[in-house]
Amino acid sequence: MKYTNKLTKQKDGKISRRDFIGGAAAAVAAFTVVPRHVLGGPGNTPPSEKLNIAGIGVGGMGQNNVRACESENIVALCDVDDNYAAKVYEKYPNARKWKDFRKMLDEQKDIDAVIVATPDHSHAVVAISAMQRGKHVYVQKPLTRTVWEARMLTEAARKYKVATQMGNQGHSGEGTRLVCEWIWDGAIGNVREVHCWTNRPVWPQGIGRPEDTPQVPSTLDWNLWIGPAPERPYNPAYHPFNWRAWLDFGAGALGDMGCHVMDAPFWALKLKYPVSVEASHSYDVREMWKRVDNKETYPRASVVHYQFPAREGIPPVKLHWYDGGILPEQPVGLEPGRHITDLGSDGSGTLFIGDKGILVCGCYGGSPRLIPETKMAEYKRPPKTLPRIDTGRDGHELDWIRACKDGRPACSNFDYSGPLTETVVMGNLAMLNPGKKLDWDGKNMRITNDDKANEYVRPDYREGWSLEI
Amino acid sequence: MRTKSISKHKDEKISRRDFLGSAAAAAAAFTIVPRHVLGGPGNNPPSEKLNIAGIGVGGRGANVLEGVESQNIVALCDVDWHNAAGTFRRYPEAIKYRDFREMLDKEDKNIDAVTIATPDHVHAVASIAAIKRGKHVYCEKPLTHSVYEARKLAEAAREHKVATQMGNQGQASEETRIMCEYIWDGAIGPVRQVHVWTDRPSNGLFNVFWPQGVDRPKETPPVPETLGWDLWLGPAPYRPYHPAYLPFKWRGWWDFGTGALGDMGCHRLDPVFRALKLGHPISVEAASTLVNKETYPVASIVHYNFPARQDMPPVTVTWYDGGLKPPRPDEMNEGEQMGTNGVLFIGDKGKMLEHRLIPESRRQKYGKPPQVLPRSPGHFVEWIEACKGGKPAGSNFDWAGSLAEVVLLGNVALRVELREMLTRTKLLWDGPNMKITNIPEANEFLRCKYREGWNL
Repeated sequence: MKYTNKLTKQKDGKISRRDFIGGAAAAVAAFTVVPRHVLGGPGNTPPSEKLNIAGIGVGGMGQNNVRACESENIVALCDVDDNYAAKVYEKYPNARKWKDFRKMLDEQKDIDAVIVATPDHSHAVVAISAMQRGKHVYVQKPLTRTVWEARMLTEAARKYKVATQMGNQGHSGEGTRLVCEWIWDGAIGNVREVHCWTNRPVWPQGIGRPEDTPQVPSTLDWNLWIGPAPERPYNPAYHPFNWRAWLDFGAGALGDMGCHVMDAPFWALKLKYPVSVEASHSYDVREMWKRVDNKETYPRASVVHYQFPAREGIPPVKLHWYDGGILPEQPVGLEPGRHITDLGSDGSGTLFIGDKGILVCGCYGGSPRLIPETKMAEYKRPPKTLPRIDTGRDGHELDWIRACKDGRPACSNFDYSGPLTETVVMGNLAMLNPGKKLDWDGKNMRITNDDKANEYVRPDYREGWSLEI
Repeated sequence: MRTKSISKHKDEKISRRDFLGSAAAAAAAFTIVPRHVLGGPGNNPPSEKLNIAGIGVGGRGANVLEGVESQNIVALCDVDWHNAAGTFRRYPEAIKYRDFREMLDKEDKNIDAVTIATPDHVHAVASIAAIKRGKHVYCEKPLTHSVYEARKLAEAAREHKVATQMGNQGQASEETRIMCEYIWDGAIGPVRQVHVWTDRPSNGLFNVFWPQGVDRPKETPPVPETLGWDLWLGPAPYRPYHPAYLPFKWRGWWDFGTGALGDMGCHRLDPVFRALKLGHPISVEAASTLVNKETYPVASIVHYNFPARQDMPPVTVTWYDGGLKPPRPDEMNEGEQMGTNGVLFIGDKGKMLEHRLIPESRRQKYGKPPQVLPRSPGHFVEWIEACKGGKPAGSNFDWAGSLAEVVLLGNVALRVELREMLTRTKLLWDGPNMKITNIPEANEFLRCKYREGWNL
């Protein structure tokens, strides 16, 4: 497979540098091996063979993604907050600095690939703008804040044939692959029940909209930060970082961690769309005698139950999600003194309950174990049949860079991570309608038994913003 | 049945209530004694009525007194005379006290029974003080603040042979009986899983809420003139007064209340205990939103594992609060709500939601289970009759003590100290010896440290 760039999109009609790389990559693929010096001259890798990468939203997690791509040329950095991004800006003095990603994409022509690590509500508009211009995209998880946006991104990636990767780095890890291979090996038999948990939110949720309207810091372009979201006054309750809590900007604990924690079951159990989802969550009560129907932030704690249909000869499975400190019950057979939270990692993990055994793994699919340990010791591990990523999850960005160059899809490309994100964030539909079992028509992105609950499937963008492929 | 040592009375006279006691004993022994033998012909003579004192009468205590006001309400005690003013007005002839110890001393001869509806942290000391004087006790749920206190109260009630009742009035209901009769009739087969939920600490019906997951207030406003703050604190560690604790909101604070589980557990778990003949669990584990050393969490889930009992298999009982609920059973009617509080029994052959078999078609087809349990004359009447020598009330402290122990054990599993400082694991429970066997450090949370001058 190869990426073809729409030359017609180039206004100046010239073949751009990245089209050349694309073509070169195609040539590499076609001839299997071409010495690097053919492209760049003798000796070291020539700069012309490197990707020109732009980071959008680089103050937070984005800086880690950019750092992981330092083997390439970091040619542009974009952030709506100069102050938040100052450290990253200093680190890459040669990169051009931008505040508005639209301007950057319009004006800086040497960009091959874009890292998107803005707040969730901007992922889709940024990523699509980049893809429309033929840029490869690495987008932080969750791919998008809503189901519909995830679908749009998946379709856009197919249409524009760019290399894509979602930032669920565990997908590149050894652990996730072991989980798949062991489950496919029948290590625990058929899996009908999965429990996923995270200790998130570690930021305030279950709170009301702040009423104070402090001055916007001079370094921040608040209008750009808001992007496609409905307008509201600036408040430090949203930026930096705590935007995750807010319905308009983030996807809550589920959105933050679901794309990590549900990744291993999604892959190993070949899940796609659930047939139903339901949730219960902690109530939001801010003063005596008053319980609030909160449509501002996600709750402090929730439990979400997904049901997946039978697929490819695999029986139906129920997947239970717990956040805010809530956990599944300790599995039968877990030795005294052990606890699933010790077996997980980063406050998160997954339990697979099979007909013939139990498997637990950490947040990123890491360190899978069969329970009890005696079973683990007896287990004859199957051959490692899945291709590995060099340096595992630390190599997640590099897997994408490789994909940008050789055309072979990255492991968490949008064909995979789009449906994963759809499934993760559709859990929030249930959270916004607790106590109802919502029947889900995944293909058509529709709750079939409650019309009103569909309002959160697709966001209303602010005037001047739209999502078109 | 109750016998009382007359020697306990300093003046050696047979007090009015000793007479009631022995009359009741006689009644029980002879099965039927016409009431007029005791009180003359016709209506109940006043002498046959109990003399009841209320301890903690401002909040729930007011309702409790109304439940027993067919008797003589002779004394009222509350540390907050402002909060108790309405109750004081309703019983103008009752003598008013601030300190229950003083009341029990001064009114000893005049009181047959007490109702206790103080904050949870005072239940045990007030109950024991009354029981030791041979008073019958009605105490609000949860019976006590700690597992240890619940055990001690049950022992004391047995030793002093007083009539007792915990304030979980649902135990007297028709619904509780129907739940038992369905299960015992095998309507849903052996039960291995039960889910119990409440919306507390918020309350869907009245939107009642007390803040949980919050820190101790730092301001020290003056104590209202009408409030005896030191008495309100009672056995709890000293801290300055703050309206964050009272009225009502004490439920959210570790030092005073027992959280959502303590508040509602004794109600919601009571029918489960009866129907499934539960006693001591073998283990308990809990998970919750952030906890601290001051307040209970906003939401929690607690799993109790019970061993096989008689002809019943092991069962896991899972508690949800703060809005969390079990998955909705498919057998529920379309559009039907799970309810703010609920009990779901999952049997090998069916499910029961509250006292209804589900789905509805199954309930209709099954009909009513055979009635094997006697019906109650009412929760308060049960106690009043027990005080007068009748059979023990349905939630007497033998029953209520073991129920409250299990509820409060769930709170031990929620302790932040256990969950953050020690290995987080299931607590293994040796009920008969009241001991957590796998984490010795956890045992200190089975009882509360009392302030100097207070003991059981």
